[in-house]
Amino acid sequence: MTTLIVLAVIVIVLVMIVVGIFNRLVALKNRYENGFAQIEVQLKRRYDLIPNLVETVKGYMAHERETLEAVIQARNQASSGLANAASDPGNADAMKKLGAAEGVLGGAVGRLLALSEAYPDLKASQNMQQLTEELTSTENKVSFARQAFNDAVTAYNTYRQSFPAVVFAGMFGHSKDASLLEFDSQAIAQPPKVSFS
Amino acid sequence: MSTHFFENQEAARRQTSRLVFLFGCAVVGIVALLYGLAIVITNLPKTDAYGRVLAIPIEYWQPELLFQVVLATLAVVAGGSLYKTLQLRGGGAIVAESLGGQLIPSDTRDPEARKILNVVEEMAIASGLPTPPVYLLADENGINAFAAGFTPSDAVIGITRGSVHLLTRDELQGVIAHEFSHILSGDMRLNIRLMGTVHGILLIGMIGYFLLRSSMFSGGRRDSRDRSGSVMVMAGFGLMVIGFVGTFFGNLIKASVSRQREFLADASSVQFTRNPAGIAGALKKIGGLDAGSILTSPSAPEASHLFFSNGLRGGLQSLFATHPPLADRIRRLDPSFAGVASASPGVARIQATGAAGFAGSRTPTPLASLPAAPTGSAIQQVGEPTAAHLEYATRLLADLPSAVVAACHEPHGARAVLYALLINRDGDARRRQLDQLATFDEAGLADETRRLLRDIERLDSCVRLPLIDIALPALRNLSRSQYLAFETNVRVLVEADDRIDLFEWTLQRILFAHLRPHFERTASRARHNVHLSKLATECGVVLSVLARFGSAGDAAVRTAFDHGAAQLPGLSLALLPKERAGLPALDEALSRLARADTRVALQLLPACAAAITADGIVSVAQGEMLRAISDTLGAPMPPLLPGQKLF
Repeated sequence: MTTLIVLAVIVIVLVMIVVGIFNRLVALKNRYENGFAQIEVQLKRRYDLIPNLVETVKGYMAHERETLEAVIQARNQASSGLANAASDPGNADAMKKLGAAEGVLGGAVGRLLALSEAYPDLKASQNMQQLTEELTSTENKVSFARQAFNDAVTAYNTYRQSFPAVVFAGMFGHSKDASLLEFDSQAIAQPPKVSFS
Repeated sequence: MSTHFFENQEAARRQTSRLVFLFGCAVVGIVALLYGLAIVITNLPKTDAYGRVLAIPIEYWQPELLFQVVLATLAVVAGGSLYKTLQLRGGGAIVAESLGGQLIPSDTRDPEARKILNVVEEMAIASGLPTPPVYLLADENGINAFAAGFTPSDAVIGITRGSVHLLTRDELQGVIAHEFSHILSGDMRLNIRLMGTVHGILLIGMIGYFLLRSSMFSGGRRDSRDRSGSVMVMAGFGLMVIGFVGTFFGNLIKASVSRQREFLADASSVQFTRNPAGIAGALKKIGGLDAGSILTSPSAPEASHLFFSNGLRGGLQSLFATHPPLADRIRRLDPSFAGVASASPGVARIQATGAAGFAGSRTPTPLASLPAAPTGSAIQQVGEPTAAHLEYATRLLADLPSAVVAACHEPHGARAVLYALLINRDGDARRRQLDQLATFDEAGLADETRRLLRDIERLDSCVRLPLIDIALPALRNLSRSQYLAFETNVRVLVEADDRIDLFEWTLQRILFAHLRPHFERTASRARHNVHLSKLATECGVVLSVLARFGSAGDAAVRTAFDHGAAQLPGLSLALLPKERAGLPALDEALSRLARADTRVALQLLPACAAAITADGIVSVAQGEMLRAISDTLGAPMPPLLPGQKLF
């Protein structure tokens, strides 16, 4: 009888530890998913601003149609990439695609803004000033939310890989590391090409 | 002062002790049953080597066996309860997520989600609580809501998609006010305890199930272990039955405790909103809706008592219902209610006759006919916001510049708002603070703060605390490392001018009191019953600080202190010298006072108010300070209305 009790107590303690691991994994996953929701709100805000930007710019620089179209296309790409990523935050493939699409969009918008420097009327327009400020501020918010998301993902991955969680993680459906969201910033880093020909 | 708030808290405590008693009874009963089971198992007829049954007289009294049974039961039940309680200490978010809730981002642009967040925000400002994060139960089409948490700092509100879709703004307000009443009256902690204890009993049945399963799988294969196999089956089955009976009584306890608290919350909801039609309309819609208030989440049974209305279908209605019958609740709010729910799409389902037998036993007080709450002093309204506060909160939110509100709703901007609040209006200190700000290494932060500074400096000083309340949910979305940086930065800005003023102190106090539990994984501490006489030193510090900051000149300070001390006749208090009555000393005293339960607040708050009002002048900073002290003592104070007396 006594051995049975001792066994039972040991089993209970073990079960509790395992349930604890399960719960912690779920909590950490929820945290990074909430983090992604935060990014999503800001990115959507940005995608709503961009058509306004294009609309405003259009009147001044009609002959830059290619640039404008590139921006709109990049925006649509990124928007669908976001919808895709939001259904499964942390999925490596979706994060990579979103990151790349965001990089392209960032580059296209950067080029557009650089081009607009050449149009003093446009630069002076209040609408444009307001839009630029909002875009910059949204940009900052996105990067801040992204940092929080990446921190949450790192916390999840670290816990998932540590002992004893690593033994059970696969069993509980946490077999893969969540993926960080990195924006491919090459396009932004490149100086915009302005030709004077 | 005597207010419902403290009476409600007291009632919640009494319920807790009643719960402990009932729970004790349940455990004794379980031990007795288990002992019986153990006697049966140990006295199973034995066969000798030739297969003949040996008749051994049954020994009913086996102290050693009883001892083992008691030990094992206690270990399991206590372990199970403790485990669940510890898990739930993580706060309401854990409960909300286990029910399938998704956090609504505080800067959401979905109009329906925005509406519910606004309603919650108004209610939070009106009651002086930090805005709780709101979780949407997206898969639930019934009308229901809940509040969960251990303390107001970790409370969350959950609401079903059905409610958001189907309820009008007034009805939502009624429901949310009902949930805030649960937060304010200490019901949440009681509810969490209920979940924990019932879980402990549930565990016994689960072990039985586990034993039964495992013996089913291993049994029948090996003949030599046939006997031990059948013992296992028996033990497993017995445990399951006992566990079931235990859970049965556990649910009974849960339901009976919960039912009584619901009427109270309904009544408070009307008091907060002065609009019985709101909450009554929501209840009527539940009655008229096919999905009613039913929840589909598999975790719903465990949390059934947290909800706004019955979340489970059918069963022994009156005995197990965690909520009073719908018709009864409606009739208390709207005496003219004839029993046919009408207000919403769907079929009327409440039958007046069905509930009449129960309702006939006592005459319900029609809340609609209660007089409007008189405007009392700030201290009388602790934990009891009135419709005037709600109106004040609504107007305050509407008057705030939209850029500031938008910033408060998102983590990046929320920090900038708090930094901007800390920046001095003029002079050397301001320049130093702005310089400091530029050194914080986050992109665009200094710009954002400067941009908001223009708006924030134009704001009336009495909206500064509500701004913190609004910003809190967004700040919880910081990652841990972002939070640590934020904490340091706030400190740097506060100390930039080498002195801490009252407002800076109040801001830090309120901000970190609510954020720290979330980020530092320190379980929220339960408050204990400590007699005020043991806290005389702390009370002395609090009154001394209030007197010294509120009055100039030794005589005035002395008068203020004496006014306060007169409210605490049982204690011998001494005015502390200036160097021992600074804000750091106050911080230390308050962190000790924070461990005592709200009875201390009941006595100490009038003393504080007396000390502040002794000179007949109450500055905004003093009012804010009193609210911060009140908040620390677990007694949330609604915002001070213009021209309102403190005490």
